[in-house]
Amino acid sequence: MKLLLQLSIRNLLRHKRRNGMLLLAIAVAVAGVNASNTLLRGYQLDLLDTAVSNLTGHVKVHAPGYRDDPTIMNSFVIEDSFTPDVPSDVLLGWAPRVRIPGVIMSERETRGVQLVGIEPGAEGISFLRDAVIDGEFLTAADDNRVVLGKELLRQLESDIGRRLVIITQGADGLNRERGYRIAGSYDVQGTGLEKLFVFVGLEHLQALLETDAVTEVSVRLTTENYREPAKLSMAASLSDLEVMDWQELEPQAAEMFLFADGVIYVWFLLMMGALTFGLVNSLAAAVMERVKELGMMRALGMQKRTVVVQVVVESCVMMALGVLAGTLLGALIYAAISDGIDLTAWSDGIELFGVASLLVPVMLPSDLLTVAFSSMLLGIAASLYPAWRVVQVQPLDALRS
Amino acid sequence: MSQPVVVCKGVTKTYQKEAVPVHALRGVDFVVHPGEFVSLSGPSGSGKSTLLNIIGGLDRPDSGSVVVDEVDYGGLSESALAELRLHKLGFVFQAYNLIPVLSALENVEFIMQLQGVPAAERQGRAEDVLTKLGLGEMIHRRPGEMSGGQQQRVAVARAIASDPVLLLADEPSANLDSRTTEELLELLKRLNQDNGMTIITATHDPMVMSYATRQVKLRDGAIEHDDAALPA
Ligand SMILES: Nc1ncnc2c1ncn2[C@@H]1O[C@H](COP(=O)(O)OP(=O)(O)OP(=O)(O)O)[C@@H](O)[C@H]1O
Ligand SMILES: [Mg+2]
Repeated sequence: MKLLLQLSIRNLLRHKRRNGMLLLAIAVAVAGVNASNTLLRGYQLDLLDTAVSNLTGHVKVHAPGYRDDPTIMNSFVIEDSFTPDVPSDVLLGWAPRVRIPGVIMSERETRGVQLVGIEPGAEGISFLRDAVIDGEFLTAADDNRVVLGKELLRQLESDIGRRLVIITQGADGLNRERGYRIAGSYDVQGTGLEKLFVFVGLEHLQALLETDAVTEVSVRLTTENYREPAKLSMAASLSDLEVMDWQELEPQAAEMFLFADGVIYVWFLLMMGALTFGLVNSLAAAVMERVKELGMMRALGMQKRTVVVQVVVESCVMMALGVLAGTLLGALIYAAISDGIDLTAWSDGIELFGVASLLVPVMLPSDLLTVAFSSMLLGIAASLYPAWRVVQVQPLDALRS
Repeated sequence: MSQPVVVCKGVTKTYQKEAVPVHALRGVDFVVHPGEFVSLSGPSGSGKSTLLNIIGGLDRPDSGSVVVDEVDYGGLSESALAELRLHKLGFVFQAYNLIPVLSALENVEFIMQLQGVPAAERQGRAEDVLTKLGLGEMIHRRPGEMSGGQQQRVAVARAIASDPVLLLADEPSANLDSRTTEELLELLKRLNQDNGMTIITATHDPMVMSYATRQVKLRDGAIEHDDAALPA
């Protein structure tokens, strides 16, 4: 084996220019794939974070029927002692809410909104954690003021400290109408959420609706990897309720998430496929100009399979060097863009997918390893054909040629 | 008398050349005993190389049998033949003998490396042989940095360093001038006389023939003359 390594390295050095170019091509392709992977992972993570933060959580509990008819009629009561059936080390937090449709009116304008009763302390799990608050946020579950989105506030032509009227349906099916003071407004990426959600204290809203039930419990985990098991164990302990994960609740986001996975594979195959083609050609040339030499080795008693291994080793050495250089180069690119790429110039298109306008790349060791490993496999695959061809030539014919 | 190194019986070989059969060997019986230095000669196309290649396990006869060092080639797989070449035979080809990316020393070590001889031992043996052949100065040179005669001597060194039972040389002097040919032949003669190495050469070169101890002449794929057939 040492002999084969020595032979392959010296043979590679025999054509410094040709192999140098090939090495560069491999390195650039690997670096390109790695760099684009960090962007796609960044996009995915952002997508995930947005989907999960969007009051969804990783897993969410509803009363059956709530999704068809999201009113206080389809609600459930949770025990004081309730906690989600998830190991505490993967549980980031959970929040009970009442979320029902309502109409909000200022002196000038009227809008349909989602009225959400929350426990302010529990909402560290949602987008409110990162929102910029003007004025004050709700302070307790019995807070009887409202917090609404900055965009909605603008549309209602109202202001912090002023009063609004909210109309919604109570547990008895009768409408409630009540005036609220605006405690503050929240400002988040994009305007979709800002127009949709109006927050009020959970206990206050329950009192208004004359119920002690909630319409949802949202659970956020420390890791996406535990989503499936968490959903299953919660579904088992809450058998009369509907337990769903964000992929079911936000199918579009889930599809984009999978799509990004697909892009990663397709991109890898495209780049490395073209490269493999070049590698096969270059190896075939390198091997065919050594037919005589390899035939002589076989005449001296080297086994066919050893000749094959020799060609494979040569290809692998090449690939390994290229992958190493490419991974380093990819890391440099990553370091250069690790602060994120500002997409505001294209943000109109991007917002459609619910993604922040700053794309922050994420480098996953598992991605680097997958790329490196698959590249090595390609290196082996690329060498098999040239190796097979060269051992088809009988030693005598090779020596005679 | 000791066991013969080579026993060929009724060896025939026919090639197809543009659909015309060429009878390269037509029933050759040929026995070589240990310590012989045999020269195969004869006109071009008489079958010298074909016979040498068949004895070397590089080519297979159409009929007849070949036994080398008591191993019958009949029924041996390609891989078993390669194994046999590696462990029992030494080859010196006409040209392009050496691996260009390896130094003289590494070239001589090559076969022993394939045989799995430990590094220290094979390096010692390779240095010894090269020094004996007068190449002690150039063990670190690559083939491209040596003359044709020096390259051929390195090839001989490689062939004998692993102590083969039989050394086969096809036109070893074809690319050499007469002075280096003589040096090479002196070398083979010494190996034959001092070490009892069994050697078979195929050649047109009268100088090579003159160094051999037994003359075998081929014509049209058959043995026309063999010293061994003469009454002693
Ligand atoms: N692979 C082959 N395919 C077709 N014909 C072949 C092949 N090898 C040898 N021959 C033919 O077989 C005959 C014997 O060839 P061989 O090489 O044994 O002769 P030779 O005595 O070594 O000749 P030379 O002195 O020219 O080397 C020749 O007619 C040659 O053309
Ligand atoms: Mg010949």
